[in-house]
Amino acid sequence: MLRKILIANRGEIALRILRACRELGISTVAVFSDADRAAPHVLEADEAYRLGPAPAVDSYLRGDLILHFARRSGADAIHPGYGFLSENADFARACEQAGIKFIGPPSTAMRALGSKTNARQVADQAGLPRTPGSVHGLASPEEAAEVAETVGYPVMLKAAAGGGGKGMRAIVRAEDLAEAFIAAQSEAERAFGSDEVYIEKLIERPRHIEIQLIADEHGHCVSLGERECSVQRRHQKVIEEAPSAVVSHELRRRMGEAAVRLALSAGYTNAGTVEFLVDAGQNFYFLEMNTRLQVEHPVTELVTGHDLVHLQIRIAQGEPLPFAQEEIQLRGHAIECRVYAEDPENGFLPSPGRITRLIQPGGPGIREDSGIYEGWVVPADYDPMLSKLIAFAPTRELAIARMLRALDEYVIAGIRSNLGLFRRVLRDADFCAAHIDTGYLDRFLAQYRPGDTSAPHDSTAAVAAAALIEVTRNNNAVTSTASLQPSGNWKASARREAVGGINHKGRHG
Amino acid sequence: MRLELEIEGHTHQIEANRPDPAGLWRFRVDGQPIDADVCLIRPGVLSLLVDGQSHRIVVDLDPNGFSLHLGTTRIPYRIGDPRSLRFRRSHAGTDAPVAIKASMPGRIVRVLVEKGAAIAAHQGILVIEAMKMQNELKSPRDGSVADIRVSPGDTVSTGDILVLIE
Repeated sequence: MLRKILIANRGEIALRILRACRELGISTVAVFSDADRAAPHVLEADEAYRLGPAPAVDSYLRGDLILHFARRSGADAIHPGYGFLSENADFARACEQAGIKFIGPPSTAMRALGSKTNARQVADQAGLPRTPGSVHGLASPEEAAEVAETVGYPVMLKAAAGGGGKGMRAIVRAEDLAEAFIAAQSEAERAFGSDEVYIEKLIERPRHIEIQLIADEHGHCVSLGERECSVQRRHQKVIEEAPSAVVSHELRRRMGEAAVRLALSAGYTNAGTVEFLVDAGQNFYFLEMNTRLQVEHPVTELVTGHDLVHLQIRIAQGEPLPFAQEEIQLRGHAIECRVYAEDPENGFLPSPGRITRLIQPGGPGIREDSGIYEGWVVPADYDPMLSKLIAFAPTRELAIARMLRALDEYVIAGIRSNLGLFRRVLRDADFCAAHIDTGYLDRFLAQYRPGDTSAPHDSTAAVAAAALIEVTRNNNAVTSTASLQPSGNWKASARREAVGGINHKGRHG
Repeated sequence: MRLELEIEGHTHQIEANRPDPAGLWRFRVDGQPIDADVCLIRPGVLSLLVDGQSHRIVVDLDPNGFSLHLGTTRIPYRIGDPRSLRFRRSHAGTDAPVAIKASMPGRIVRVLVEKGAAIAAHQGILVIEAMKMQNELKSPRDGSVADIRVSPGDTVSTGDILVLIE
């Protein structure tokens, strides 16, 4: 049995894993960089240790330091979350050698599947359909050009160690390849510490549909259904849902069986995801395998009723899977929106900084896996994801309505966020009809003009509110962003006003 | 108290009177009276009842100035002093140069325009890398490039002027 787990991550996923540990009676160890001293995962963990300066290479990518703190704290396992060291086979191997359980697949399976080029070779051996292209890393722009000519443009350049859309480029014209190759290499080197890139043929208007797998250490592997992740920007998933509106029971079975075959052939254990592209004719092509927990795992948890992090930990303890494939049933529909600190009205520029005011939604069918709080300063050093907002309802239509309701409750002030974009996408006729593919969001955004994001509103109220804020500004409380506490006379009058309002209106709710 | 307010492209003359003990504020907006029942929920968060309509207001402030969230809409606004009309000169005209500033620390990857070049609204000006992502900054309006103050490779801080558009 595991008694103490070190969580080698930050943000919402560190908190999500920490919560699972608490539920299972396991102590938690957090690690943090200088930018994250006040981060929620540090506040909530039983123990926390400083790794180093803010840049990931000096902190969350320091496997040596993380192992040091695991030993020092007496942790018997490390959960890597996603990103950072989660798909680093050398780190998984170092954990194995140190006698600390790495909560994920064995380093051998990770090496075989974690590198996208290797995974394509394994897929060939397991007989999975895959996209045409290279199965090895490319040494030079010239070699890249040769492969691209063979499979035919347009092509995708991808980082073999990649994830999250980094180091990835779509190339339509041969003359753009050389520059894109260099850029993809350098982005891959910086993001993953490996500049290996490869090419695959670009499938036109595909859907991105992935299969969640869970495998124990006794040779059992079960598919937990699919996730539809076609709503992407710059190859980065933005909205995910389960199940997919276009996957029939039969297609789900075939994709699930292919995914299980791949995992078993590589000796895979723990949670993993096999990504496929699905074309208009419902043909599916193996894309890559993510050898870790995915950002979007909550939608699968909601429709299957199984807690994936609990399962990961129980499998790491050597327990057999508590269910068989036939027992997996999907119920209802779940949608996830990835809430980012970025400004859709200004070229999606990242928007780090202090969250001065935060009003988070709640109520029936809403789950939020968040890594923020009011007053938290979102660092500029990491991925700008703030939170994942997830809605669950009996049908897709109701899940959309529920998500819109939650989005309308949500306010983030002090920094910009993409909440407004979600409010528009979830009202879009094509999205509502599930007419989506990986190019859907780009087409939607091409018609999206800065400044036309306003929902209908009462301008009288806006004018009155602005005037009110200005008139009371010197009191420093209504508008204060530096101080989060009312003070002095204003405090008394604010309280009087608030109490007066409640007494007069009886708004106890 | 009198003030001038520019919001959503309109300028309004406002007269605000202190609230009565029940928290009722009386405004005159361009001469029209408006009664607002105001309740401070907590600093920066207000409830407004105007003609029975309930509004939740959250005050927002970032390097670009004040705005408020009215329900799901973020509305930037500017306050002018009626005697100086400062904002009119600095904002209302379109011939004043507009400074494109860095809204966060980052590194300049590419400059897409040349000094003196004519540019259209929404045209890309430069590419900045921040939070590991490359982003293209676009021109807020039609005009020409008056000055370029950065080069590829430069590290910039929040608020640095990158390009001037006139």
